[in-house]
Amino acid sequence: MDPRRAETGKNSDQIQSGHVYHLALDIGGSLAKLVYFTKNDEHIVGSEKKKSPMKASGISNSSRNSPVLNGRLNFKKFETSKINDCLEFINSMKLHLGAISFQMIAMVMNAGCQQPESPGSQTITIKATGGGAYKYADLFKEKFRISLDKEDEMDCLVAGANFLLETIHQEAFTYMGNQKQFVWIDKNDLYPYLLVNIGSGVGMIKVEGDGKFERVSGTSIGGGTFWGLGKLLTKCKSFDELLDLSYRGNNRAVDMLVGDIYGGMDYSKIGLSSTTIASSFGRAISENKERDDYKPEDIARSLLRMISNNIGQISYLTALRFGLKRIFFGGFFIRRHPFTMDTLSVAVNFWSKGEAKAMFLQHEGFLGAVGAFMSSDKHGLKELLANQKVERPPSKLSFSLDQTQVPQQDGELNGDESIECSVYGA
Amino acid sequence: MAGLSEKPQALGIDQESAEANKNSSSNKKSVHNRLLEKDKEEGGQGGDMSPSAGSSIKRSGSRPQLDVSKAEIQGNVEEKYPTILLPNQSDDLSHLALDIGGSLIKLVYFSRHEDQSTDDKRKRSVKERLGLSNGNRRSFPILGGRLHFVKFETRKINECLDFINSKQLHRGGAESPYADGATDGNAIIKATGGGAYKYTDLFKERLGVSLDKEDEMDCLVAGANFLLKAIRHEAFTHMEGQKEFVQIDPNDLFPYLLVNIGSGVSMIKVDGDGKFERVSGTNVGGGTYWGLGRLLTKCKSFDELLELSQKGDNRTIDMLVGDIYGGLDYSKIGLSASTIASSFGKTISEKKELEDYRPEDISLSLLRMISYNIGQISYLNALRFGLKRIFFGGFFIRGHAYTMDTISFAVQFWSKGEAQAMFLRHEGFLGALGAFMSYEKHGLDDLMVHQLVERFPMGAPYTGGKIHGPPLGDLNEKASDRNSKYLTSTSIIVTLSNSDFPTQISWMEKFLRKGTEITAPVPMTPAAGTTGLGGFDVPLSRGSSLRSDASALNVGVLHLVPTLDVFPLLEDPKTYEPNTIDLADPSELEYWFTILSEHLPDLVDKAVASEGRTDDAKRRGDAFARAFSAHLARLMEEPAAYGKLGLANLLEMREECLREFQFVDAYRSIKQRENEASLAVLPDLLMEIDSMDEETRLLTLIEGVLAANIFDWGSRACVDLYHKGTIIEIYRMSRNKMQRPWRVDDFDLFKERMLGTGDKKKPPHKRALLFVDNSGADIVLGMLPLARELLRRGTEVVLVANSLPALNDVTAMELPDIVAEAAKHCDTLRRAAEAGGLLVDAMINSSRSSKGKSSSVPLMVVENGCGSPCIDLRQVSSELAAAAKDADLIILEGMGRALHTNLNARFKCDALKLAMVKNQRLAEKLLKGNIYDCICKYEPAS
Repeated sequence: MDPRRAETGKNSDQIQSGHVYHLALDIGGSLAKLVYFTKNDEHIVGSEKKKSPMKASGISNSSRNSPVLNGRLNFKKFETSKINDCLEFINSMKLHLGAISFQMIAMVMNAGCQQPESPGSQTITIKATGGGAYKYADLFKEKFRISLDKEDEMDCLVAGANFLLETIHQEAFTYMGNQKQFVWIDKNDLYPYLLVNIGSGVGMIKVEGDGKFERVSGTSIGGGTFWGLGKLLTKCKSFDELLDLSYRGNNRAVDMLVGDIYGGMDYSKIGLSSTTIASSFGRAISENKERDDYKPEDIARSLLRMISNNIGQISYLTALRFGLKRIFFGGFFIRRHPFTMDTLSVAVNFWSKGEAKAMFLQHEGFLGAVGAFMSSDKHGLKELLANQKVERPPSKLSFSLDQTQVPQQDGELNGDESIECSVYGA
Repeated sequence: MAGLSEKPQALGIDQESAEANKNSSSNKKSVHNRLLEKDKEEGGQGGDMSPSAGSSIKRSGSRPQLDVSKAEIQGNVEEKYPTILLPNQSDDLSHLALDIGGSLIKLVYFSRHEDQSTDDKRKRSVKERLGLSNGNRRSFPILGGRLHFVKFETRKINECLDFINSKQLHRGGAESPYADGATDGNAIIKATGGGAYKYTDLFKERLGVSLDKEDEMDCLVAGANFLLKAIRHEAFTHMEGQKEFVQIDPNDLFPYLLVNIGSGVSMIKVDGDGKFERVSGTNVGGGTYWGLGRLLTKCKSFDELLELSQKGDNRTIDMLVGDIYGGLDYSKIGLSASTIASSFGKTISEKKELEDYRPEDISLSLLRMISYNIGQISYLNALRFGLKRIFFGGFFIRGHAYTMDTISFAVQFWSKGEAQAMFLRHEGFLGALGAFMSYEKHGLDDLMVHQLVERFPMGAPYTGGKIHGPPLGDLNEKASDRNSKYLTSTSIIVTLSNSDFPTQISWMEKFLRKGTEITAPVPMTPAAGTTGLGGFDVPLSRGSSLRSDASALNVGVLHLVPTLDVFPLLEDPKTYEPNTIDLADPSELEYWFTILSEHLPDLVDKAVASEGRTDDAKRRGDAFARAFSAHLARLMEEPAAYGKLGLANLLEMREECLREFQFVDAYRSIKQRENEASLAVLPDLLMEIDSMDEETRLLTLIEGVLAANIFDWGSRACVDLYHKGTIIEIYRMSRNKMQRPWRVDDFDLFKERMLGTGDKKKPPHKRALLFVDNSGADIVLGMLPLARELLRRGTEVVLVANSLPALNDVTAMELPDIVAEAAKHCDTLRRAAEAGGLLVDAMINSSRSSKGKSSSVPLMVVENGCGSPCIDLRQVSSELAAAAKDADLIILEGMGRALHTNLNARFKCDALKLAMVKNQRLAEKLLKGNIYDCICKYEPAS
């Protein structure tokens, strides 16, 4: 048995003691992601409403005698550098208090063993993952007396991906030449797969099942590199602005193409076309040009291609090494940005000579947070959703997007979305 | 360059040097004038000059290397290493290939130097006797010569064109076997690299040559295959700043992954010669580093950017695992806190602009990012195709330690230690070399490891066609009489009056009288007032000459010497390691560095005196001292600079350096003087020996060899003895009462083999190879009497001596004269020498009619193919290799050949190693003994 299983087992003891989690955090190097559950009507859970969800659910689960709450799973993200905004948000939404409410429900349900203390005086525990869960632990404690219960990042990531891929119908898709195509994945034929999580850095994880996974590779050239180099090279103020720029750029001005070296001829013998990038930024060595002489758009474009290409290549080689058929790309670097996805797809296609395809997840970026939210599945979410999937048309489960695919200027708004779902109260 | 170029005389160098050179070579010629002339006649008559006769270039045949006429110092003369341009240096025959890359042009050209054939009568007769066929093994002979490596910046392509033009490389040399008869108009140069297309017109226009484009990948692979097969220690690993050379069995080379890092990166799976496939690559390469680096810093050149990185700290730029996890290791997934989680991940900080980051840090971070990425992708590809070895080449690496370390680290990290990154010393020149190989008749295909010798002359143009070396400045004014102390420190030996000697006086006493001559100051012609010692510095201390590319390895000139062979009597050539002392140990290196540095003034003195202390000789002596000091300093800075280096290589480098500065034979007069003094007393010695019984005689002979080995100008201790005048006394003492047992004493074993025990007599050896050491007493009073004893016992004797001078070692050229002189007083020697074709006077008959007439076994002389005080038995002359075929006894004599090298060598036949240890440290380290201890190591054939 996987040792990680054992760890989760320990957590389930806590469930018995009646903790309920309402909010989960994934605090990465550059972005903090929130997943939280809200009831259908409103965010604030009052004790007088606690019975209605149970009625509404109409599900009698043999193994549990817990209430089922109908509501939405919400996704929100912040730049980690603006962690205070995130804290403010949590505060303003009283999200952390929601956890208490659940707890109280549980207590009532358990026929009141003890009186709940007043919310203000108690230290609350929230599931969190990502490196920032360690780094900002003190800050959370200090400001809101929230204690972050650190979940392993990789565990969360994989749990999140597995959950999304298994339960949500249109979660995975390919993206080539502006064509987005959903891929139906038989949940019985999902494993093993390679999960490439592109955050600040890139982690590559071989997933063989629930809780069965291994970090097999990775690269330090990731989203942080794009944003970091991009910030130094352009005057961009945000990651999204940089992405936006890249969309309008042309990498030919900056990259050395095969054609540049071979005087316009294809170097066909080795299967390289004249437009293949021979050397990223290889043209920027020109003596008479300074940084200001290059268009920021072109630089951003070249940077994006370099990084996407590289990730695509290493991912493919890693998948090949472990005999993995599918590569899923997740993490915030992608941001469902068409050009990024396209480049990654092209890279995988190029290096695999068409044999492998890059796949993406609708909820890229929130894998860790979803995983943390569901850690040890105390909400029974997975089971519930799996059941509901049989009962209800899956389309009803599809999430609603608050935004279009056009990147927005403000990263905070970007990616706010939610999934309609139900959870057990305890 | 300007300013100075108009008055080259400011350097004090003019045509005089060329004349001096002529003089020195004509001196040399006069000795063997007769032989050579005779040779020419015969060659003319017979018309049977063998094809290889012209290719008998010795492994050390590097003189004269520099044509210093019209030399210019470029740049600031005050600099430690100003660049010297030698416009008139030319090579006789050349052939050229180019690799024109995006940022650098690499040139490989071949030159055949003037053939200074020493194909004299002696050699001819030896060849006849040994049944040496003259290079008929091939349909066309490999030409001996040199491969030169030069690079230019592509943006300064005109400098490259000028260089080619000045050396007329594109003409290929009229006599070149490659020149397709076309010396003008439509000459063709093989070229590769993207620029081969781009600059076609420019080459046509400027030089009138067509570039024949060779496929880049073909060239790369051909070049790598050649280097890995032909150069013993071409590949090395680089971990934590330490280079370790790897010897690769040419038969177990394939398949491997070749990663060429240029502007972009190509990864090539190589299965054999011409069998390869580009399996991968990445667009994140050297161009990315330089391109991004240029945008992010104010660097003006790639090298500047690289240099910056050395002072960088990537923690301000990169997001480390520790940054994310608040300083905790993320040990669960095997990542330490210092692992880079995200390259440039920290530069997203809102408050900081580009200007707030140090360019050094940016450069380092960039370098790490790219190197690490290349290492990772390379490993994944090697794994994918099941390739054991990954070689990294291309100009991105540039010998830069950090780059290599990062790549190595990445490969090790991702392979969990199962794979190692390897690098090539000639990285960067793979393509050019491959293009060179694409000439139809380059003759390099069949070349074996043992036929290649790499030299590091100061005069070799390397970067931009410029020569980096010490300034050949005007030294006259600085000349001092620093060595006048030598003039006063005459012998302390009491000289007897010149009156009649009593007839009973022993040979030793006579020799003692000669002592005053031997220890007198070096004779010179004509005696000039000043010495040539002024003006050179004590070798630079470590660090003072550190350059940014300190860890970059020097690329030397490859000498192709087809006449070299592996010594056939080595028990296992594959595991044979000539050097006893490994200089990879820093303390060893430092010790020998000091020894060689301290020995330098005396060496320079001898060298300058050997040419009559002319102003030119002084100037060259000074330049030599600077050059060799620079070599030493370079080695202290980067011990791996010249490849895998043993003490033998270091000693040889000194000799080569002398030759480079046209000191043909620094110890000529000393050798002559000592030979004469010794020969004068030889008859008496022989008489004394002959009066002994067999057993005493053998012991006396061995003792004689050991004692006479003290006359060694290569040992600092002995040089001191010379200068103090006590050397003769020491010699007498050791000769008279040599304490047995010696430190290593297998004499009884040897005696048993020679004389047998009781009635059991063993048959004499059929042929003995005697590797001789020093001139003077060593050869005349030590080895010759021993040879004579062997001859008497019916054993053929082959004296093996250096091809070129090294210190006061006797050379194969000098031996016939010495033997002839000795033969005057000894019938045994005379008849044997006659039989061996050594006696010039007798030779006229001997070759025609004397066969069978002489009953004596022959005494022969062969050259060993070296010009070093040591010997690497993997690379000896084919003559020696042939002579070894019938040999069943080899005797190695002297420190250089029996101690510094070959002490641990095992042979297929009986081997006797004789030496006196003239170095305290060596005695302690190797033998737990003391200076002047003796070694008599006998190892019967296994």
